Amino acid sequence: MTTPLQRYTHYFVGFTLFNVLIQVTRLVKEGTGKTTLAIGDGANDVGMIQEADIGVGISGVEGMQAVMASDFSISQFRFLERLLVVHGHWCYKRIAQMVIIKRLSRFSLSSICYFFYKNIAFGLTLFYFEAFTAFSGQSVYNDWYMLLFNVILTSLPVISLGVFEQDVSAEVCLQFPALYQQGPKNLFFDWYRILGWMGNGLYTSLVIFILNIMIFYNQAFRAEGQTADMAAMGATMFSCIISAVNCQIALTMSHFTWIQHLFVWGSVTTWYLFLLLYGMLPPYYSEDAHKILVEALGPAPIYWCTILLVTVACNLPYLAHISFQRCFNPMDHHIIQEIKYYKKDVEDQHMWRRERSKARQETKIGFTARVDAKIRQLKGKLQRKSSTLVLPNCMPSPC
Amino acid sequence: MIGEATSSGGGGKDDSPAAVSAKKNKKPNYSRFTQQELPACKPILTPGWVITSFIVVGVVFIPIGLASLYASEHVVEIVERYDKDCIPPDYRNNSLHYIQTSETDKNCTMTINVPKHMKSPVFIYYELDNFYQNHRRYVKSRSDKQLRSKASEGTTETCKPEAVTSNGQPIVPCGLVAWSLFNDTYKFSVKKEVLNVSKKDIAWKSDQEHKFGSDIYPKNFQSGSLIGGGKLDPSIPLSEQVDLIVWMRTAALPNFRKLYGKIEKDLQANTTITVTIENNYNTYSFGGKKKLVLSTTSWIGGKNNFLGRAYIAIGGLCLFLAVCFVFVYLLKPRPLGDPSYLSWNRNPSGQMN
Repeated sequence: MTTPLQRYTHYFVGFTLFNVLIQVTRLVKEGTGKTTLAIGDGANDVGMIQEADIGVGISGVEGMQAVMASDFSISQFRFLERLLVVHGHWCYKRIAQMVIIKRLSRFSLSSICYFFYKNIAFGLTLFYFEAFTAFSGQSVYNDWYMLLFNVILTSLPVISLGVFEQDVSAEVCLQFPALYQQGPKNLFFDWYRILGWMGNGLYTSLVIFILNIMIFYNQAFRAEGQTADMAAMGATMFSCIISAVNCQIALTMSHFTWIQHLFVWGSVTTWYLFLLLYGMLPPYYSEDAHKILVEALGPAPIYWCTILLVTVACNLPYLAHISFQRCFNPMDHHIIQEIKYYKKDVEDQHMWRRERSKARQETKIGFTARVDAKIRQLKGKLQRKSSTLVLPNCMPSPC
Repeated sequence: MIGEATSSGGGGKDDSPAAVSAKKNKKPNYSRFTQQELPACKPILTPGWVITSFIVVGVVFIPIGLASLYASEHVVEIVERYDKDCIPPDYRNNSLHYIQTSETDKNCTMTINVPKHMKSPVFIYYELDNFYQNHRRYVKSRSDKQLRSKASEGTTETCKPEAVTSNGQPIVPCGLVAWSLFNDTYKFSVKKEVLNVSKKDIAWKSDQEHKFGSDIYPKNFQSGSLIGGGKLDPSIPLSEQVDLIVWMRTAALPNFRKLYGKIEKDLQANTTITVTIENNYNTYSFGGKKKLVLSTTSWIGGKNNFLGRAYIAIGGLCLFLAVCFVFVYLLKPRPLGDPSYLSWNRNPSGQMN
């Protein structure tokens, strides 16, 4: 029976020179491709500790140099097992969660982008309408529509996006931590995304407003000759917003469980149900919306034609953009999705393993600590070279 | 020792079966929902899907656009502006005085030529320009409660400044919307034969039945010094005052049309219709325009080429995009699931190490 120690690490015990330690660690790391852990307590162990994937320093007789250069420090060698089995396990889970949190934060970013988008699309139509009311502050929408907009009609799909969206499955996510790497490239990309979504919101608001105004202009909108009043135009414009915005979020989702379907199409259905039921209430409650769907808009083909036209026109740029991006500039998770979809990971396991190990190399635990330690090491080297030629210490490592 | 290590760091005496089973029960029940393993559909946007969806949209939209355009082209519409020409030449420079005094004759005659055959019913509209029925203060100035029943006759708070008379008596119907009721009238005749204008079914049914009461009659209406529009017959209940009901549906835009009546007869092409207009309504003080509109309708309503054109434009754009994508995929295909497109394979120099 192998102990956890044997199972999880390759370890090297030596009384060796500073440089040799580093080179051998590198050899083991690259040769086996496994995660390496190095443990030491002396100044000569610093390089090895930094080179390994996980560096453990022991604070002790030699001083704190090994400790300062390491990712984890313990006071006695016998605590190594506990470190590996207990804390190592937890650490792994938490890093995984951090990756998931990073993934969640990616999805919170996309939720934030979507919030910007839908509220800009909605709010700007109100603003444009003001230009037609001599800026008197008259709202084209019924108060109830505006109240329900953010509360029910567009919020549930976003929640399902934030909670349930999986561009790649959890196991793939953990196998490919490089999918969520930090970096200046990503920071720029985030701003680009935010501004892109705001632009999309602006475009959507313009399309909704202009198309509705031009279609319902001043002529009759039904075969029975009636013209559209503010209530009819407001209800139509609002229906267009609800359809366009919910179709948009459906296009951003890549993972459809029954929950997503329920929330997205359910939101659109809820709007019509609301309009229907609200219109059934006596005019004391429903005011201008009284029977508007049943009597005025429902039987008018132009109403449905307008909603269809506006929904497609609003989503066309985004659809073109993602199609273009996926084809010419695909993101890593797009490729991974395709590999999984076409089962290439099953067909060509060697390729899959190779890509996974490459992805893991990109992210290392304790990276920033390593950078700092590297700088300190180089400084130490410079200092030593400038003083005298010193024989390296030979220290037996405890066992 | 392993048992100790895996417990939550407490003493080493937690190995009793009760404690172990208690630990087991603390674990949340497995469910596909909480473990995010619900069955899911994960559509991938492949080139095939992209091109198909663009083509489908194009193929659906272009016929709809053509049908709308066809319907709109077959609607016959006659629009005649009359507010300038209906002032007698003497008053052309002083139109405000002309319209406001009751001494002048407001009758005016105009001829309209019917360009194409118009099938019955031919709808008559009045069109107003630069009239902001959608202004917030105007929209607010009405009392829907009062309009519904006699019992609420006194509910006039929201109607200011046209709420009560100088004696404190409630005005029925109160508010600026009712006060500014449009009151031009039109009479049509062809070769001395009068064309009947039907006022039936020009207002929404729900308005007539639920929003305007049948027990409430106009009272003290237009009794002040400043008259804003038409007068109402006090012997007709509000639910039958169709002109008022149509007027009180506030329009969305400053340029709007409202249904005046219908002619239930076919109008032959090249007929000359003589219209006798009573030019009562004052649009001169704010630079508004008045127009008379006769129009037939189709399944999309009145004449509006925009819907058809928009559909054709979007459909055409989709087909164009489909062709572009086909072109581009043929020129620069990217095999799906090819790992050489992964970012760490594409530009290894840019990666951190």
